[in-house]
Amino acid sequence: MQQKGLDFGAGPQGPPAVRRALSVAELTDRIQGALEVEFADVWVEGEISNLKFADSGHWYFSLKDAAAQIRAVVWKTAARGIRFRPKDGMKVLARGGVRVYPPRGEYQLSVEALEPLGKGSLQQAFEELKEKLEKEGLFDAKRKRPLPMLPRRVGVVTSPTGAVLRDILRVLRSRYRNLEVLLYPARVQGEGAAAEIVQGIRALGSVAGLDVLIVARGGGSLEDLWAFNEERVARALAASRVPTISAVGHETDFTIADFVADLRAPTPSAAAEQVVKAKADLEAHLGALDKQLHAALSLRLTHVRSRALALTSHRVFEAERGRLRNAAQRVDDLTARAKTGLTRQRERSRDRLRHAQTRLAAFAWQRQLGDRRQALAAHLEALRLRLGASLEARRAALGQNAARLDSLSPLAVLSRGYALAWKGERLLRLASDVAAGDSIRLRLHQGGLSATVTSKENE
Amino acid sequence: MTKPEAVPFEAALKQLEEIVQRLEKGELSLEDSLKLYEEGIRLSRLCHAKLDEAEGRIEQLLKDARGELVLDADGKPKTAPLTPAGDER
Repeated sequence: MQQKGLDFGAGPQGPPAVRRALSVAELTDRIQGALEVEFADVWVEGEISNLKFADSGHWYFSLKDAAAQIRAVVWKTAARGIRFRPKDGMKVLARGGVRVYPPRGEYQLSVEALEPLGKGSLQQAFEELKEKLEKEGLFDAKRKRPLPMLPRRVGVVTSPTGAVLRDILRVLRSRYRNLEVLLYPARVQGEGAAAEIVQGIRALGSVAGLDVLIVARGGGSLEDLWAFNEERVARALAASRVPTISAVGHETDFTIADFVADLRAPTPSAAAEQVVKAKADLEAHLGALDKQLHAALSLRLTHVRSRALALTSHRVFEAERGRLRNAAQRVDDLTARAKTGLTRQRERSRDRLRHAQTRLAAFAWQRQLGDRRQALAAHLEALRLRLGASLEARRAALGQNAARLDSLSPLAVLSRGYALAWKGERLLRLASDVAAGDSIRLRLHQGGLSATVTSKENE
Repeated sequence: MTKPEAVPFEAALKQLEEIVQRLEKGELSLEDSLKLYEEGIRLSRLCHAKLDEAEGRIEQLLKDARGELVLDADGKPKTAPLTPAGDER
């Protein structure tokens, strides 16, 4: 039987009965062998997309160009050796081997080494705009305005739905109840988003009494955050009448808006914290001032008081003080005497009481013990007498009862010369109960007899 | 917005800070110290009141179907109270 290589049918001359199919595992195994050997070590150029840094430390992404893409993974151990942080849109040169993952029938590039290769187009645009605006001085520290001391009305440009607005409002409402918040609902992603954000910045800027403006969006990819990297948004922020806070993406994301705004907050809720903090800081400062104010005055009063004291100790007041002292001394004297008298009286009473208590205790004990002992002896005697009498009576009664019992017992009757006669189990009372020749048994006072009836007399 | 007094908060706070400084130097007569102290207390109350004045409101600007702001008769943008889903559960 020939079965060799990829032979899925019967040969022209062989019988059609034997047809050997590959199992999926066998096929996959062969594909794996072919791919992993052929592409064990290759260099690939492409753009990173869908990059994910897993908690496990592995990196997952796709490498793509205009025509195709391949899934790629950088295992944790390989990731340690890579010196830059890849980003979506970045062009890279990867070196690695193709690996097949049989359970899913997928193949991917297991990357061992990775190098950046110029920039992705968005990244390029970002850096060009950043450089241009930086040269214009739009990011200068001296352009940054401080947030108002006590913001009363805060404007927010963000999406009316979603967690960002909710986070901001939660912080503001929980810690700054009397703040006024004015929202400009805007799309923050996709076509037209930048235009809406610009309109929002301008519209809120025209509202009278607005103190600070927050521009916010949650985290996302470079593409998602792109509106905040557009030049017109940057220009609108720079032109804003009120100080601006930019809170776009996660802590690690930087947008052009972040560089232009007066303050960059790492997250939307951090932006709200900044506004709230102004009030909390003021409250603390005011509290401290209150304390200083009171302390300063009471220090001043202490000074005045000690000066007054120093003056009154002057000789002019000496005579008056002498009289006062005498009076005070007499009071002290009288108090001391009264105290002594009282103490002595109390001592005496206490002695008498103690004496009386001792005597009382001794008296009571002796008397009571004697009485009790006598009573107890009398009781015991009476008890003994009564018990004795009762025992005698019982014993006599018992003797009589025993004698009566005795006279009733059949055995006692037998002792007087009577006999009992049975035929079988039956006790005989009439002579007619038996016939001559019957065997009977007799029970005497002591022992028994077996007998035969020889004749009988009926009465 | 109702204001307890025309003095802006920042000015009142600055005055209070100056009063505390002068009192702490202790070079004033008792009479003047007391006067200054009273003024300090008044300013402190004013600042506290200003911190808590105004009722918190959350509103949003209204837009028409074309995405343009809706303006009132004075040409100012109209607003409406905002109660986003999930707020203050």
